[in-house]
Amino acid sequence: MQQMNRLLDIYVALQALFALSWCFSDAEPGPVAGSQSNGDRFKIEGRAIVPGVKTQDWISTARILVEGEEYVGFLKTDGSFAVNDVPSGSYVVEIVSPSFRFDPVRVDITSKGKMRARLVNYIKTSEVIRQPYPLQIRSSGPHMYFMKRETWGWTDFLMNPMVMMMVLPLLIIVLLPKVVNTNDPEMRKEMEQSMNMLNPNPELPDVSEFMTKLFSKGSSKSSGGNKGSRSVAPKRR
Amino acid sequence: MAWLVVRLAISVSLLYAASAVFEDQVGKFDWRQQFIGKVRFALFDTHSQASKKLLVATDKNVFASLNSRTGDLFWRHVDKTGPEGHIDALLMYGQDAVVVVGNGRLLRSWETTVGGLKWETVLDTGSFQAAALVGVQDLVKYVAVLKKSAISLHDLSSGSQIWGENLPDSDSVQYQTIYSGENGLVFVLGIVPNSHIVIVEYKIEDGEIMNKKSVEAAWMSSLESSCAVVSSGILLCVDQITQSLYTLPLQSAEQTEMRQIHLQMLDLEVASGFRPVLTSTQPNPAQPPLSEFFLQLSPDHHILLQFKDGLIALLRDFSPSYLAAFATSGERTVAAVMSPKNDTACSINLFSADTGRKHLDTTIIYHMDPNGGKPNRLYVHAFLKKDDSVGYRVMVQTEDLTLTFLQQPGRVVWMREEALADVVTMEMVDLPFTGTQAELEGEFGKKAAIQDGLLPMVLKRLSSQFILLQAWLAHLWKLFYDARKPRSSVKHEVTIDILSRDEFNLQKMMLMVTASGKLFGIDSKSGTILWKQYLENIQPNSVFKLIVQRTTAHFPHPPQCTLLIKNKDTGLGSLYVFNPIFGKKSQISVPTLPRPVLQTLLLPVIDQDYAKVLLLIDDQYKVTAFPSTKNVLQQLQDTASSIFFYLVDSSQGKLSGFRLRKDLSTELIWEVVIPTEVQKIVAVKGKRANEHVHSQGRVMGDRSVLYKYLNPNLLAVITESTDTHQERSFVGIFLIDGVTGRIVHEAVQRKARGPVHFVHSENWVVYVYWNSKFRRNEFSVLELFEGAELYNSTVFSSLDRPHAPQVLQQSYIFPAPINTLEATLTEKGITSRHLLVGLPSGNILSLPKMFLDPRRPELVSEQSREENLIPYAPEMPIREEWFINYNQTVSRVRGIYTAPSGLESTCLVVAYGLDIYQTRVFPSKQFDVLKDDYDYILISSVLFGLFFATMISKRLAEVKLLNRAWR
Repeated sequence: MQQMNRLLDIYVALQALFALSWCFSDAEPGPVAGSQSNGDRFKIEGRAIVPGVKTQDWISTARILVEGEEYVGFLKTDGSFAVNDVPSGSYVVEIVSPSFRFDPVRVDITSKGKMRARLVNYIKTSEVIRQPYPLQIRSSGPHMYFMKRETWGWTDFLMNPMVMMMVLPLLIIVLLPKVVNTNDPEMRKEMEQSMNMLNPNPELPDVSEFMTKLFSKGSSKSSGGNKGSRSVAPKRR
Repeated sequence: MAWLVVRLAISVSLLYAASAVFEDQVGKFDWRQQFIGKVRFALFDTHSQASKKLLVATDKNVFASLNSRTGDLFWRHVDKTGPEGHIDALLMYGQDAVVVVGNGRLLRSWETTVGGLKWETVLDTGSFQAAALVGVQDLVKYVAVLKKSAISLHDLSSGSQIWGENLPDSDSVQYQTIYSGENGLVFVLGIVPNSHIVIVEYKIEDGEIMNKKSVEAAWMSSLESSCAVVSSGILLCVDQITQSLYTLPLQSAEQTEMRQIHLQMLDLEVASGFRPVLTSTQPNPAQPPLSEFFLQLSPDHHILLQFKDGLIALLRDFSPSYLAAFATSGERTVAAVMSPKNDTACSINLFSADTGRKHLDTTIIYHMDPNGGKPNRLYVHAFLKKDDSVGYRVMVQTEDLTLTFLQQPGRVVWMREEALADVVTMEMVDLPFTGTQAELEGEFGKKAAIQDGLLPMVLKRLSSQFILLQAWLAHLWKLFYDARKPRSSVKHEVTIDILSRDEFNLQKMMLMVTASGKLFGIDSKSGTILWKQYLENIQPNSVFKLIVQRTTAHFPHPPQCTLLIKNKDTGLGSLYVFNPIFGKKSQISVPTLPRPVLQTLLLPVIDQDYAKVLLLIDDQYKVTAFPSTKNVLQQLQDTASSIFFYLVDSSQGKLSGFRLRKDLSTELIWEVVIPTEVQKIVAVKGKRANEHVHSQGRVMGDRSVLYKYLNPNLLAVITESTDTHQERSFVGIFLIDGVTGRIVHEAVQRKARGPVHFVHSENWVVYVYWNSKFRRNEFSVLELFEGAELYNSTVFSSLDRPHAPQVLQQSYIFPAPINTLEATLTEKGITSRHLLVGLPSGNILSLPKMFLDPRRPELVSEQSREENLIPYAPEMPIREEWFINYNQTVSRVRGIYTAPSGLESTCLVVAYGLDIYQTRVFPSKQFDVLKDDYDYILISSVLFGLFFATMISKRLAEVKLLNRAWR
């Protein structure tokens, strides 16, 4: 609440800064008795455009809502519209369509019937960024109602850093013995030494061997009894 | 292994995204039904033979085009509610439909194939009287609109006004009808009641008054109901007092008196107390009406008459007959008459209009719904068959707003339940178990275990297991059988008999109460109407309250629902008790309610038949219990001291709390007066009884717990200021304890006005109001906490809470108008809550409650990050992915109903307004079931791959070992 108040204070200050010529009367946009003469009622006009789509494909499901459902208008076959019988005031005009997205526009009508359109800004409510009047509302594309499903593709899988980290050592393991001549006894000795250096703990089980043992035991049921004890402390050859 | 890790990482990252719909889920568990309301005007497009269009205008201010072959909507335009969008007249010519809207304020022309507007013109003010198409030389060019004091003529192609004239002596003469024949003249007929008729002739070209005359008619009080124009400009009127018809040629200058023809001369008599009705037909507006017309003499007596050479001839007498209507195809006009056949069916027959002869083989049998109302409107679509005979289809509208479209010999082509366009209240009831399921449940009953020994129980277990196996095999066989058939031929017919609870209780029975007094039972999975019941004699201003007294959980007792129907003006009410699964009226005796009912209360106390006790409090503060058996009364006496209730009197601004006494009388224990001069009570809401709160508190960033103030008796009272000036108006909210009357908290929103929508749940209240200074909607959230310690953690008592709760509040800007607000509800309350916001655009926004948290910090700190608090932002985001109903918009959404399902993650949602939309939402995603996109193929291929890899590597290792041994 306090935050809200503080923000409101800021906006009041901002308003003062802008020092706008607010010549618009503060007419209540509520329902006015129908007995009023036509002079006090105005017409909001404009045109809605959906690029690349024929008007007859979308106008039958679209409506123009002025300030919620306070005033309702319909689209003509050429995409233009007029909302009749609107008293002076400030309104948010919105084209609602289940298939296309339109940005709302704020339309101000003075008591004399002067119109202007501006961008809707709910935070700085008095800021004026002019829009053309009669309204030209261009759709910003179809609605994006749906979330994208995470799809599983081979490329996603392969380009993953974890996979890369696994594939590279694998390649080294497979390719390195081919490149280096392992039949040379000197070379072999050297490699064994370096391996021992890499693997300082000879008690640690070899993963591949452990796996083979485990699976061979799983298939042969006779040795199933001592499987637990062995797998806890497997020996290295 | 890696990809599993990867997938886990992805799913964790997605957990933070709010629930949304995936494209492949469309229509999987959601459905929408669109309605139009009570039909006021219906016109078949007779422009071309192949046309399927049926244009309708309804009392819900909807103008729509229906496909007459299927009953589906081609397009639909929903105008403003209230008198400003009211459709006064619908005229059709060719491809265009002309509609007069808002008491003659707007004249619109619609292109009916596309559903777009052709033109729209604003008419002068004045109350609308009549509209007619005007033709010149066989061509319809204009439309004339008659107002109370003026007439105007508009061009049909552009809507521009040709001329407009004030009517002479409009302050004394009531002009009511308009007529245009073939001769370039427009006749305006007015009346001075019980004195004379005024006929004014206008020239079509320039609106010049050609002639004006007045004719004595002292007996006449209204033109509209008792007169019609037949033949070439003959005004025909009927009077029930003198039992005679009167005729007057509109054009002749010499005849200044109406000619009287006694009905006795035709051997006819008007039923006493019935106002006779004349129905004529004008197939082409550019030509004069036909000389044949219907005269209705009593509710079930119509006669077809012909006016010829100043004489009236009887063509055919239809007795008994309920409804009669004309229809034209090409040059031929026919009359369809509905007459009773037996108690349950009516027959509709076709007669040629000019002779009254019956067309052979044209009978349509209309079967009346025994649970429905009587037919009251008949619309006929006539067409020429290939052999040049006239064929026809009819649309019947009944009192309970069912539209039935029939063709010969009585096949129902489609049916629409338009009562559902105005749902007042609804409930969801669990479906019952099937026989086998119930039997399995019975096995665990208490009695069974005591009576039987060990062996019979084992046998019972085995036999029930066998029954399950049998059922499963039967299911498999059915699946296999269905799969062999082509998909289109497999009918998914849903009937009550095969409906049973599914394993997650996702399918339920929706009970809908409509304003017209028709009850519906709808399957929530498919939207099929399983039963319907029309309650007759419901006043149009009734209010309804639906109460579930016994759920389906108490087999073999049937579930029981009670509907309280209350007249808004007198407050007198009545109860209707029924079985929600089958829609049958219960035989239980219902207490009569001689006094107005002020409040109802459903107690957790149950009687010996497991029905919850309903208390009804009348205006003398006396309490009636239903059911009121001895058992119940005994229980009530025991618990009376802990039963409290509250009453709201918004006209006096008074809230009062009462306690029940042992003798079922009451005593006043508190009263809160909110002065009506300053503000008025708009709404009062407690919490939902079926709501569960899982966590008692919130864990803070520093690992301490902030306990929620969970008062089940808390009432949220919303007030609005009586002063509506935008500088001085305000919205107030009071949180009042319903037992003690203590005001726990009050807040005022200055420079704000209604309509206020609010949700009261758990320890929070969310409300929306209009900020009249900044012209925007604002959300405000109030959360109540007990603090770091709970006062009494075992039980909450309103009488013993010495510490006032801490109240936190925050407000946000909501960048859209709002129609309705509701919160999701789940079985155990573990799932995070979402707010469902119905927008005027028809979308339903699922807004995470996380965004409405008064603890959202302005500055992000380590602790707030630990708590997952979103930094404060004044404007609430609206994302299109949060629209749970994607493009299936719900027009004029008026209410959203939420119900928990058997799955904790899933909440069932029904939005109703003009349309009905049902779906499921998963506020915290589907954490308790496998997701829709669960990749079975990937998982199984990985498993198989691993298996084969181990097999191969084992073989390779063996070979390697062998080789090594040989070395």
